[in-house]
Amino acid sequence: MKLITGGYAQGKLQYVLSKYRLREDAVWDGVLPEDGTQQAGTAVVNHFHRWVRRRLQDGGCPEEEALAFVERCDNCIIISDEIGNGIVPVDAFERAYRERTGRILMELAQRAEEVERVLCGIGQKIK
Amino acid sequence: MMILVIGGSGSGKSAYAEELACALAGKEHTRKYYLATMQVFDEESRRKVERHRTLRDGKGFQTIEQPVRIEDALLKMGDGRKTVLLECVSNLTANEMFAQGQQKPEREVAQNVIKGIERLRKETTHLIVVGNNVFEDGIAYDETTTAYIRAMGAIHQKLAERAEQVVEMVVGLPVSVKA
Repeated sequence: MKLITGGYAQGKLQYVLSKYRLREDAVWDGVLPEDGTQQAGTAVVNHFHRWVRRRLQDGGCPEEEALAFVERCDNCIIISDEIGNGIVPVDAFERAYRERTGRILMELAQRAEEVERVLCGIGQKIK
Repeated sequence: MMILVIGGSGSGKSAYAEELACALAGKEHTRKYYLATMQVFDEESRRKVERHRTLRDGKGFQTIEQPVRIEDALLKMGDGRKTVLLECVSNLTANEMFAQGQQKPEREVAQNVIKGIERLRKETTHLIVVGNNVFEDGIAYDETTTAYIRAMGAIHQKLAERAEQVVEMVVGLPVSVKA
């Protein structure tokens, strides 16, 4: 599993598609491929943070679900926005969203064979 | 040569970019120009401009106020080799996008800013551009602001691609992103 992070509008998906020569049809946008989904090759989960947000809104447990996903799909690339470099929000949900997304990404980074951060379209390998 | 210096607010971008400009200009004896993009509307922006002016005092920059159409700054420069410090992409983009009380489309704004900076790059010996990392706070802004951030993203990506060096400032320290 590979993890790609970076700010909004930094060209992360484009970076991944061109680096790994993947096509748009490998991309899952804001969702995790369901258990049993047939996919040849690498699955790319784009906007992972949006999936976390929706699971929190729906009262799910994104921590467990995300770990279970990478366990069964270890040939995947997860792309998430960096959302934690701003003022800590006053709203409790917004605060929990950043905090829990950050902690999930740390867990994934621990497990990832490679972590890259994309800034202005340029990848920096940080693990 | 073009160098992009990016960072958050208070990360030391300005001071580092000036240092860089002085070092590059000193080595090759070029004239130094500072392109100021901030439009002064209120006391806070006036103070910010003052602070930056004080920082630059005695370093030999000629300041050119150029809040929009950045390439027009070339008309205000003398002949010969020049080192230009452009500060900063976020003001320039906002000025281009929200001029005359109406919002221009993000693509058009991004293209204009990129084209303008490309002109500067071609006609200067050294160009240092100060960018802004406004991409990492996770806030879902209104569409107007999101369009602005997307335009900023497109501009930064293009500048980083064309720049010989990209430096990210972290707590006042330069971290090389592209060298």
